[in-house]
Amino acid sequence: MKYYEFGDKTGRYVGRTEKYDVYTSTLTEADKEENDNEEKTQGEIYFNYGPSAGGLRESVNFQILTPGESIRDVIINSGFKNRNISIIGDSISDAMLKVERINGFHSASHSIAYALAVEDALNIENDDLNDARIVEIELERIRSNIDVIKGLCESAGFAVPEKQLLLLREEVARIISGAFAHRYYFSVNRINSIEGDFSRISLRTVEKQFRSIYEGLLSSKIFLDRIQENGIVLNPISTGPAARAGNFRYDARLDSKSLIYGKFNTVLEKDGDTFSRFLVRAEEIFESINIIESYGVKRIFRKNKMELSGSGDGTARIESPAGDLFYYVKIKEGKLADIQMSPPSYLNIRNFRSALRNKNIFTDFFFVWESFGIWISELEVKFQ
Amino acid sequence: MIYYYIPLIAVFLASLISIRYRTAGYIITAIASILFFLFTFKIFDYITYFYLIAAIVWIITSVFSISYSKKYGRWLAPLFILTIAGMMTILYANNFLVFITGWEIMSIPAYLTVAINKRNDIEAYIFMLFSEISTVLIITAAVLSYYYTGTFNFTGLSSDVVLLIFAIGAMSKMGLTPFMISEWLPIAHGSAPANSSAIFSATMTLMGVYGILKIAILSPVSIDIGILFIIIGVISVLFGALYAYISENMKSLGGFSTIENNGVLMAAIGLFIAVNDSVLKEFVLISIAIFAMAHSIAKTGLFISIGHTGVEYFSAVTGGKDTVNQAGKFFAMSSLSGLFPSLGGLGIWMILESFFMGAYLYGPLGIASIIAGSLIAMGEGFATAAMLKIFYFTDSHRRSSGKNLENYTILGTGITLVFLFAMSFLIIGKNYISGIPSVLVFNGLMIESRLGVSDFGLITPLYILILLTVFTTIVFLVFGKPKARIAHRWNGGVENDQYYNSFTYSNNIRLILKRILRTTSTDENRVETVDVFWMIMINIAMAYRKFAKFTAYKIMNSRISAYITYMIAAFILIIIIVSLI
Repeated sequence: MKYYEFGDKTGRYVGRTEKYDVYTSTLTEADKEENDNEEKTQGEIYFNYGPSAGGLRESVNFQILTPGESIRDVIINSGFKNRNISIIGDSISDAMLKVERINGFHSASHSIAYALAVEDALNIENDDLNDARIVEIELERIRSNIDVIKGLCESAGFAVPEKQLLLLREEVARIISGAFAHRYYFSVNRINSIEGDFSRISLRTVEKQFRSIYEGLLSSKIFLDRIQENGIVLNPISTGPAARAGNFRYDARLDSKSLIYGKFNTVLEKDGDTFSRFLVRAEEIFESINIIESYGVKRIFRKNKMELSGSGDGTARIESPAGDLFYYVKIKEGKLADIQMSPPSYLNIRNFRSALRNKNIFTDFFFVWESFGIWISELEVKFQ
Repeated sequence: MIYYYIPLIAVFLASLISIRYRTAGYIITAIASILFFLFTFKIFDYITYFYLIAAIVWIITSVFSISYSKKYGRWLAPLFILTIAGMMTILYANNFLVFITGWEIMSIPAYLTVAINKRNDIEAYIFMLFSEISTVLIITAAVLSYYYTGTFNFTGLSSDVVLLIFAIGAMSKMGLTPFMISEWLPIAHGSAPANSSAIFSATMTLMGVYGILKIAILSPVSIDIGILFIIIGVISVLFGALYAYISENMKSLGGFSTIENNGVLMAAIGLFIAVNDSVLKEFVLISIAIFAMAHSIAKTGLFISIGHTGVEYFSAVTGGKDTVNQAGKFFAMSSLSGLFPSLGGLGIWMILESFFMGAYLYGPLGIASIIAGSLIAMGEGFATAAMLKIFYFTDSHRRSSGKNLENYTILGTGITLVFLFAMSFLIIGKNYISGIPSVLVFNGLMIESRLGVSDFGLITPLYILILLTVFTTIVFLVFGKPKARIAHRWNGGVENDQYYNSFTYSNNIRLILKRILRTTSTDENRVETVDVFWMIMINIAMAYRKFAKFTAYKIMNSRISAYITYMIAAFILIIIIVSLI
């Protein structure tokens, strides 16, 4: 473990795996989580939403505590999407097939973070892949951020920009597919290896089209009225775009050494509301395009078959589109002895709850939910 | 001649008899009410329509009380009947002295009813305070009337001052803005039994309307006072309906609904005072009578529905549903919402027609009319929401209850309202009744609103009812009973036994109008609102106390120099006032 050690809490809190609380450079035993549900008072009811309802693309249940219209608390039950993954004892390569399927939409982030952790455990030199991996993740970030903004448009009933963004998301998926032969990066990332033709990545049209939609949304008073001053959360324990929307300069691209980024602009907003998260997501699309172009990676990468054996433990933390994604692996003679993962959705779902508890009404619910870009699929993973 | 007063004598006797024989007292009161109506009601003499209204309410509440008042002590029946006796005295009165006597006979047993069933002292005192303010102002109006006419008899007045003072007096009893508290607090928090709440809300406030109207008929046309009454009325409509909608105490909801209805009547009386066109004036008078009739009967239905639940708050309702009860409630609540086919629908149609015709009078009155009409229509929207709340949340929908007399009384009010709606063409003057035989609307069945000689709008209540009934029957006969497939509701895929309740139903308005309602969250995380008029009154009272304290310390402080200064200042002030006069 080059970048992490077991010990006291140091730096900012990043998230939690099944066993550990993760900070920027240390791992500690996970604290017990306390129940802080609000007491139901007279006149209030629990309004049920989900797990199988329109407007939700993953199974999750919300019990919204309400005196009518306003939301005082929400109890989130994400356990309907149970994901027990039998992975312990698998070979490193076989495990990759499962890891890259944890969250298809953020498959590049998961597979690269896992590969980086394994490379850390086995002391494999990987500097030559640094830039290409950054390009992959930033490309994934563009698609993910477009998807989040599409969700906000859908919540507002803005069908035209929603469909335009869906089309744009498809364009990005086709660019990914053209370069990597799979739109969700399956079978692209391997230990110390990438397969893909980076020369086929061109984002000029995407940038132009997105700017046009973005400016249209910014000029719509109706849209802005729906997302401004709701879902406010300014919590120092946060991650990713949600943290940066609250003026916290938290970014694994700045404080993790798993991938070494060059100079780039961190997008920060101050208000911590849905609008701020929207702005951060949108501006980061332009910044990601700048990052991809600044690296100028245009070559073709071929799969590099290498024998993987040995023992050790390693970690990796990267900035996935939704925030810090952390992997810990323990390898014994080429087999996985332990694997721990802390997804960004862990903190994001908690901050989503805090945001909803902060003077919101029913109609704010979807905007706040979509603005965090939470994935239940990665939240409910239990490695076995 | 003596037979004319038999009902009044009978009711006074009934109050005595009821001390020992409660049921007999109620039966005598109901019979006396029937006789009262038969002896006093004159078709097309619209002021006597108030006698019909009062009689219907007294009959219904007396019958309801036979079963209902068993739960209460022996003093409820005599006090209840004595209140009715006071009201009957008011209706018999042809001079101020008898009117004031009736007013007090009506009020005093009412305080006692509130005081006997009290939880705190404050409600009975507030009730007494506002009643006595009203009495003092009505006495002042009587003295002024004597000054102008030389008699205490109700006779033509040359000045509108008597009307103004009398109206302020009656308003404080009716709970109109800014005296809202006088209506809802004793009813809501005084634990007044439902039968008493019904007559407080349905007929006691009606006596105020009756009194104002009686003086208004005698007074000269006055646009200023008319517009003032319209403004007071409209504010009462909006706030009454708003507070009714957000009320969790069912009786408080009923009280606020009465404020809203009295507001409509007050605004219409304002229009009546301000209008000079004799045709429109008569139409407004009929509108007032019809609306008052609808309100009083339906309000009785509302209070007995609430009384039937046996609890005060929506959250405590556990009683099952019953078809008879629901049918009665449906029509009573439709009437209070101003919907067809009930008398309230006709009443609000006539009131709105009056205001929209008033717009053609141009000038300040025209502007006031059109704005008032629009705002009253808006208030009725709120009222519909409040009535839906009563309709839905006074039953527990998961089981059925057994049948009893109380349910049939509620049905009785509902049917009365529909019957009066259908037959309304019989009690409206010939000037406003016509027909269009070419489209099978026969002469004598259509009601027309008129401004001068010209038509304005028309309505045929009997046809509405017949068409509704006929089409429903045809559909039923052709297609049979609708086949409803009851499916287990889909709740996101999980079981959840939480149901929307009355509080959550109306919380949207608490949030939307939080600046007006002063919606706050308490330390226990409960959402609370404030009656702003009550808050303003408290602030005025506190400011007055502060001023009085300041005066006491600075001027009335036993210092001879301060007294001399005060006396000199007062002397100069009096000289200035006298010289100005």
